[in-house]
Amino acid sequence: MSSTPSGVETSGPPAVELHGITKRFPGVVANHDIDITVAPGTVHAIVGENGAGKSTLMKTLYGMHRPDEGRILIRGQEVRFHSPSDAIRHGIGMVHQHFMLADNLTVLENVVLGAEREYGIGRRARARIQELSDQYGLGVDPDRLMEDLGVGDRQRVEILKVLYRGAKTIILDEPTAVLVPQEVDELFDNLRELKREGLTVIFISHKLDEVLSVADEITVIRRGTTVATADPGSTTARELATLMVGGELPVPELRESTVTDHVVLSLDGVTVAAPDGRPVVDGVSVDIHKGEIVGIAGVEGNGQSELIAAIMGMRPVASGSIALEGRDITGWSTLKVREAGVGYIPEDRHRHGVLLESPLWENRILGHQTKAPSVRGRWINRAGARADSERIVEEYDVRTPNIDVIADALSGGNQQKFIIGREMSGAPRFLVAAHPTRGVDVGAQSAIWEQLREARAAGLAVLLVSADLDELIGMSDTLHVILRGRLVAQADPTTVTPEQLGSAMTGAGLHGEDGPTEGDSGADGADGADRRENGGGA
Amino acid sequence: MEPVRRPAGRPSGWGRWRLLSLVGAVFVSLAGLRVITGQDMLTDAGTINTTLTFAVPIGLAGLGGLWAERAGIINIGLEGMMILGTWFGAYFAWAFDNPWIGLLAGILGGMAGGLLHAVATVTFAVDHIVSGVAINILALGAMRYMSILLYSDVPGAGAAQSPTTPGFPTLGLPFVGEAFGPLADRGWFLVSDLASLVVGLTTRMSALTLVALLMIPLTYLVLWRTAFGLRLRSVGENPDASESLGVRVYSLKYVAVVVSGGLAGMGGVFLALVASNIYQEGQTGGRGFIGLAAMIFGNWRPGGVAMGAGLFGYTDALQLRGGGEAIHALLLLLAAVLLLVAVWQVRKDRKGIAVASVVAGVLLLVWYFTTDSLPRELATYSPHITTLLVLSLASQRLRPPAAIGKQWRASRS
Repeated sequence: MSSTPSGVETSGPPAVELHGITKRFPGVVANHDIDITVAPGTVHAIVGENGAGKSTLMKTLYGMHRPDEGRILIRGQEVRFHSPSDAIRHGIGMVHQHFMLADNLTVLENVVLGAEREYGIGRRARARIQELSDQYGLGVDPDRLMEDLGVGDRQRVEILKVLYRGAKTIILDEPTAVLVPQEVDELFDNLRELKREGLTVIFISHKLDEVLSVADEITVIRRGTTVATADPGSTTARELATLMVGGELPVPELRESTVTDHVVLSLDGVTVAAPDGRPVVDGVSVDIHKGEIVGIAGVEGNGQSELIAAIMGMRPVASGSIALEGRDITGWSTLKVREAGVGYIPEDRHRHGVLLESPLWENRILGHQTKAPSVRGRWINRAGARADSERIVEEYDVRTPNIDVIADALSGGNQQKFIIGREMSGAPRFLVAAHPTRGVDVGAQSAIWEQLREARAAGLAVLLVSADLDELIGMSDTLHVILRGRLVAQADPTTVTPEQLGSAMTGAGLHGEDGPTEGDSGADGADGADRRENGGGA
Repeated sequence: MEPVRRPAGRPSGWGRWRLLSLVGAVFVSLAGLRVITGQDMLTDAGTINTTLTFAVPIGLAGLGGLWAERAGIINIGLEGMMILGTWFGAYFAWAFDNPWIGLLAGILGGMAGGLLHAVATVTFAVDHIVSGVAINILALGAMRYMSILLYSDVPGAGAAQSPTTPGFPTLGLPFVGEAFGPLADRGWFLVSDLASLVVGLTTRMSALTLVALLMIPLTYLVLWRTAFGLRLRSVGENPDASESLGVRVYSLKYVAVVVSGGLAGMGGVFLALVASNIYQEGQTGGRGFIGLAAMIFGNWRPGGVAMGAGLFGYTDALQLRGGGEAIHALLLLLAAVLLLVAVWQVRKDRKGIAVASVVAGVLLLVWYFTTDSLPRELATYSPHITTLLVLSLASQRLRPPAAIGKQWRASRS
C-alpha cells in the first residue's frame, strides 16, 4: 500500500467531522450515532454493504437533507446545511453515483451550470476549465458535447464541476461502480493528484481491494452506524469484510454431489447468429442433468448472453437443437418455454426481471401470467398472486414492508431474492441463472447460494453463468469455458483455481500454465472479471 | 492521462452555415423554378410580403413552443394562448384605439394562459398534453363568453367577432421600392428574384412584423448566450442535474411557459391586428399546432423555427395568391428534390428509401406534366400537406430536449 497519510496530524483542524449523526426516515433509521473524522489532504474511504447507510450519510453531509441529531463540523467550525448550495459554499462538493449531466449540453455548459457567477459562461469560464483540467491532469475538453463522452470522461467532468465551484472536500459516491478496471486506475491517479494538490477526498465504496489501494484511512459502516476505523496499511480485505458484514464471509460451495444421469436439458450444436451472420454462439453441445449445476465461465461478450437468450426463446437458433426432457423446444416462444418448466434469473434484472414501477405482487405475475396461482381461467387471480407473493417474501427473506410497495423501493439484493423466489415457484425443472448474485450485498449473496443449493438437492438442473469466478468454481458441478461462442474447455471445479480459469477464459488454455508468465496473465483475467462482477453494485 | 482529443463533431458555427446555405439553395431553386415554369408568383414581392404575414404568427407560436419545450414542458396549449392573444389584442386595441395597448394586452392574455399551463403542469403535475388541450378548449369558450358580454351592444360586433381595430403603422425604407422595383420586373434569373426579395422585405412592413422578427435573434441570445438561458435549457435536458447544482427548476419552468404564452399571445395579436383588422372566432385556424410543427422541423432551434415558419408561410401565401397553378409549379421542385434524395440515399447504400424516393419523384413528374393546375381543394390544404411531408422527412435526425414531457418532482420534500 503505497499511500500514507500525508501530514495528518500537522495540517490544522479536520476537514470534516461528523458527530452523533442520526437520520430517520418514516419507518427506518438510516443512520444513527455516526462519528467520522476526516483529516485534510487525505483520501478517506467509507465502506459498508449496500443499504448500510453510506449514501444517506453523504447526502446529509452534502446538505440534501438535514440530520435529525448530531453535529457537522467543517474545519473545526460547526455548520448547518439547508441545501447543497450551502455545502458548496463551505467547500464541499459531491460526485453522485448516477452522473448529473445533461447530454445535449457541452462540457463547458455542464460545468458552469449553476455557477455562472464565478467566471461567466464564455471565454473566461473556458480558460478556467482548461486551467483546472491541466492542473489536476483531468484531460477534459470544454467544447465537446456531453453525449459523445465515455463513462470515465463523464466522471472527470463531474470532478471538474466540483473543483470549478472551489470545493476543498470532494465526496465520491461509489465512483468505481460504473468503471472498467483501466478507468478505475485512471480515477485513482486523478484522486492521488487531487490529494497532492491538498484536497480532501471522501470515497464511498463497498469494494475492498480498491479501498485498500487508494485510501489513507477507512471507516466501516454497518447497519447505519460506524463500527470501526481502520488503517489500510495494517488491515486485510478479509478483516474489513468481516467488519462490514458483522460475521464471517459466506463461501460459495456445494456439499455432496446430487448429480443423476437423467438429462433435463440437452443442447446439441446450438448456433446463434449475429445480425451480420457471424455466429456469436457456435455449435454449443452440453447436457445438463437433474440435480446438476453447470457453470459457464467466460469473459463477458463471448456468447453467454446469446446462449441464454436462445434457450429462453428470446433469440432464434440458427442451427442445432435444444431439448427439454427429450422434447425438442427449439424455436418455442419464451412463454411456451417457461410454461414447460424453465425458470430464468436474467442478467439485467431491471431490463428483464422486474417492472420497477409496479408493486411486488404484480411482479409476481410477470412471466407466470398463464399459471396458477397468478391466474384463474383467463383472469388474473389477484388474491392468489398476492398470497403467493407473501409466501415468497417470507420464504426468501425479501426485506420489504409489504407486497404493495413498488419494486424500485427495494434494494438490488432484495429485488434479486424476489425474482429467485418467483422463478423457483411452480417447481421448475430447469433454471437459467445469469449472474444471480451480481450487485447484491453479502447477506443476500449467501441466501441466494443457499437457495440454489437447496433447489439442486431437490433435483433442479441449473445453467449458471457468472463473472464471479469464485462463485462459478464453488457452485458448479461441471464447469465449461466459453470463448468466442465456443465451449473451449471443461474444468473440474474441485481442483481448478480462479487463475487457471481466468487464463482459459482469455484463450491461453486451461492446462500447463505452471510457468509464472502465463499464470500472471490468468490472474489478470480473473481480476478483471471480479471487478466487473463487483461493478454491478447498485 | 489520455491527451485531450479534438472534438469529433463538426466545427462550431457549422450549423449556422448549413442553415444559411440551405436557405440560399432553396431560394436559388425557386428562382430557377420561376424561370422554367413562368410562374412569376413564385418569387414576386407580393408573395414575399404575404409569406411574412403568414409566417409571423406561425413563427411566434413556434418560438413559444421552443421556450416551453426547452424547459421540458410540452405546450400544446399554444393554440389557446393565441386565441387569448387575438381576443385581448383586438378588444384593448379597439377600446383604447391604440394598437400598442392591444399588443400589450394580447401578450399578457397569452401569458395568463401560459401561467395556467405552468400551474397545472409544474405545480400540480398534470399531464402536459391534457393541460394543453384543456387550455385550448377553455380559451375558445371563454373568449366567446367575453365577446357576448362585451360586444353585445357594439354595432358590427357580436359573439364571434370584434369591431374593426386600429392597425400598426407600416414601415419601409425610402427609395428601395423605386430603386429595385424595375429590376424585379425584368424577369432575370436570380437578379430579379433577389430584387423582389429586397423589395418585399423592406417596404410596407408592419411595425409588429419587425418586433416579431426581432424575437428570433432575441430568443437565441437569451437562451444560448446568457446564464439564465443555460439554466433554462438545462432544466429541459436533465432537471435532476440542474437541481443538484442549485438551479431553481420550478421557477425556470414557470418563466419558460409564461414567456411561451406571451409569444403565442403576440402571434394572436398579429393575426387580429396585422393579418386582418378584426377579431374573429376561429381566427387562429390551428396555427398554434403548425407552430409546434415548425418548431419540431426546426429541431428546437430559433433559426430552424424561422425556417419552418417561412416554409409554411410560403406555401400558404402561394396557395392564396397563385392558387392551384403556383402550387402546381412546386410539384416540379418537389420531384427534383426527391430524385436528389434518391441519389443521396444510393450513396449511403440505403436502397429502400432510394427506390421509394425515385418512385414518388417520377409519379410527381407524371402528375406535373399531365396537369396544368392543382385541384382547388388540394391547393387549399397544401400547407397542411407540407406540414405532414416535412415532419415525416425531417423527423429522422431531430434532437428534442431530453426531459421533455416528463413530470418532475423536486427531490427534497
